[in-house]
Amino acid sequence: MAFVKTTPSMARKAPLSEGTLLGWLRLNLFASVFNSILTVFVLFIIFFTVKALWIWGIADAVWVADTRRECFNININGACWAGIIAWLDGIFYGRYPRDELWRINLGGIMLFIWMAPLWLPRVQGKILVGLSTVALYPFLAGYLFAGGDKGVFMQIMVTAAIVALAANIANAAIGFFINGNLPDFIIRSIRQNEAPEARQRNILLAILAALFIAVFVWQMNWTVEVVSWTRWGGLFLTFVIAGIGIASALPGGILLALGRRSKLTVIRVLSTSFIEVFRSVPLITVLFMATTMFPLFMPEGFVLNKLVQVIIAVCLFNACYLAETVRAGLQAIPNGQYEGAHTIGLGYWKTMGLIIMPQALKHMIPNIVGSFIGLLKDTTLVSIIGLFDVLTILRSISKDGPWLGLHQEALVFGAMLFFVLCFAMSKYSRHLEAKLSTGHKN
Amino acid sequence: MGGIVAVGDSGKESMHIKPVEKFDFFHDERVRSIFFQFLTVLVVCWVVWFLVSNTAYNLEKRGLSFGLDFLGLVAPFDPDFKLISFTVGVDTYGRILLIGILNTLYVSFLTIIGTTFLGFSVGIMRLSSNWLVSKVALSFVEVARNVPLLIQIIFWYSVIYAVLPRVKQSLDLSLGAELAFLNIRGLYIPWPVPGDAFWMTIAAMLVALAGAWFFRRWARRRQDITGRSFPVFLPVAAIIIIFPAFVFLITGSPLAWDIPRLEGFNFAGGASLPRAFISLLMALIIYHSAYLAEAVRAGVLSVSKGQSEAALAIGLRPNKVMSLVVIPQAMPAGVPPMISLWMNIVKNSSLATAIGYSDLVAVFMQTSLNTAGHAIEIVGITMAFYMIISLTISGLLNIYNKRVQLVER
Repeated sequence: MAFVKTTPSMARKAPLSEGTLLGWLRLNLFASVFNSILTVFVLFIIFFTVKALWIWGIADAVWVADTRRECFNININGACWAGIIAWLDGIFYGRYPRDELWRINLGGIMLFIWMAPLWLPRVQGKILVGLSTVALYPFLAGYLFAGGDKGVFMQIMVTAAIVALAANIANAAIGFFINGNLPDFIIRSIRQNEAPEARQRNILLAILAALFIAVFVWQMNWTVEVVSWTRWGGLFLTFVIAGIGIASALPGGILLALGRRSKLTVIRVLSTSFIEVFRSVPLITVLFMATTMFPLFMPEGFVLNKLVQVIIAVCLFNACYLAETVRAGLQAIPNGQYEGAHTIGLGYWKTMGLIIMPQALKHMIPNIVGSFIGLLKDTTLVSIIGLFDVLTILRSISKDGPWLGLHQEALVFGAMLFFVLCFAMSKYSRHLEAKLSTGHKN
Repeated sequence: MGGIVAVGDSGKESMHIKPVEKFDFFHDERVRSIFFQFLTVLVVCWVVWFLVSNTAYNLEKRGLSFGLDFLGLVAPFDPDFKLISFTVGVDTYGRILLIGILNTLYVSFLTIIGTTFLGFSVGIMRLSSNWLVSKVALSFVEVARNVPLLIQIIFWYSVIYAVLPRVKQSLDLSLGAELAFLNIRGLYIPWPVPGDAFWMTIAAMLVALAGAWFFRRWARRRQDITGRSFPVFLPVAAIIIIFPAFVFLITGSPLAWDIPRLEGFNFAGGASLPRAFISLLMALIIYHSAYLAEAVRAGVLSVSKGQSEAALAIGLRPNKVMSLVVIPQAMPAGVPPMISLWMNIVKNSSLATAIGYSDLVAVFMQTSLNTAGHAIEIVGITMAFYMIISLTISGLLNIYNKRVQLVER
């Protein structure tokens, strides 16, 4: 005889909603006995780790002292941050002359101002802003950092950079506050907006030329003291190498990736072997190659300084890595996109520049930024071949008389520095990916 | 194939369906293609000629010779760490090169093993349903990935120096038995010295492995035919352990241990791993584990949830779900990153040069280059070594990818 239930059984109590704190804890930390044990165990470990770090890094740390010995006398269990504080200038600027530090700061501020419009809403001509950052800013900053006499070429580039910076600021202000762009604004404010286009263009060109000449005349008398590259160092040098690397590796990588996918056999074979050679060897060997073999490769009397050799090596090396990233992005573009572009009559460069690349690059933003992060981390390798980058400076703290033996604090500081930079970059890339995403993911 | 022509991304094939047009020399695709390629070849040839002629001139002017003869010269220095013997004043640069290669491979091999363990553990922790565990794993990954490897290496190098005791107060890792020691200079462990009959144990090991393989194949075939599974893990473990152990005992335990002893200011005997090696190994393992953990996680997440749900629905146990359904499908997504990680490990081990572990770059590209000159040859040989390694590994990857693709639909 089968048992048939005639009355409905009582409804079970609703499970704790995940929305409440208790429910969340139950679900995520104490779902089972094993899980609960695990949670308690991990909490235990976290507690001791954090406590030890807290005591060493903050509670027992010494912030004000003149020597490491003094740190020890005050509290031997804690970190001696006083040494790091005393060396902060060195960590950031290396051995750059102390009276000239304003130049580095000014260079940094100019870069910030130059690029800030990219993040401002309503500003027009952002592509131009980005291009000028890569093409013109380095000359201005380079002169500012290195100083000395300017050749004619350098004078022209510095002038162009200053004009571009001024135009950039004006354009950003106009875009941000009153909508519109700089050329339109000029035309309108001199009441020429009814005039024919050619006339408008000539007016703008004339203004540009006048500005250019004015700036050129001014900068002829503007010189700053020479600072040899051997005195560049610290985080500043790291940023210079990483900055140039990033700015040139992306275009280089795009070209190499296109070369590798080219239907021209010779170009494809050359790009492929170039990429594969550089990708299969460690950066340190490329750096050694640059410093030991470049001098042999170059004609007599042509001397490149070590910094330039290193920068060239870093650029080539990272261009190859980026090329593979870009290629992966290109491979993800469906054939229909190429065919569509052909159908509307676009040639190779227009297809690539207008249809394929924007999609491929957008697709690969996290990977590209990942490569940039790798580049930033890899710049520490230049310390091995004797440049005074941030790591060299950090290591030299422990050889400095009063701070003899201060290893861990310096390295922990360096680690935190890089962690903040790299972590911020990777988080920003996620944000950018989400913002630019137009696909139908989920 | 006749009339139907696929229009690829090249657009080259689409010429077949173009309307007939006048041949325009400057705008013809083939002419342009040949022209540009010719131009490229010309430029490349010029660059190569430029470099070679400059180099030849510079070498001649500095009175330098070119050639691999220097590998036969006696090297005037002694590498700190070597797996094979080296006598200063007798052995050559060729032997230095060999020592460097062996050291690089040695540290890379140990790193790969360590990374596999740590990386998989962290990857599994990362996937844990326990929020705390997963966040701890995430923090580990983020910290290990975002701090430059070189800083990590130097950090561990200095921490080991600060934390470990001096030689006289060495830590006894064997808890009073005085077998293994850890001190500021490194780790000292007993090292096996195989006796005459030890080869029989090794032979037994090989036989046991072969037997285990055949046993597993038999068990699988039986399951295919009868549908009943046969426990494999325990019998295989028994075969592999018991048989060689038995042979080892009846041949009279032909294995002695060389135990490190404190003699004067340092330990003698046994095997030693210097501080530089330990810190390098630690940093390499930690750094690459973070990447491996992410690869493991990505691989497992690439298997859609429906797969494991379906496997659970047909009554498989959670561990069977993992081993029979999820992991086989996760492999195609997880293995390529893992293999390229191996390549990175070999390449990144070159950072050893910063703390003085005698790897290929340190001992050959730095010290030998400074004492023997011959920059071009030395840089060339070093790069060639890394290229061979990476070509081998990417060859393996290609084979794997081909096999995986066959399995796919």
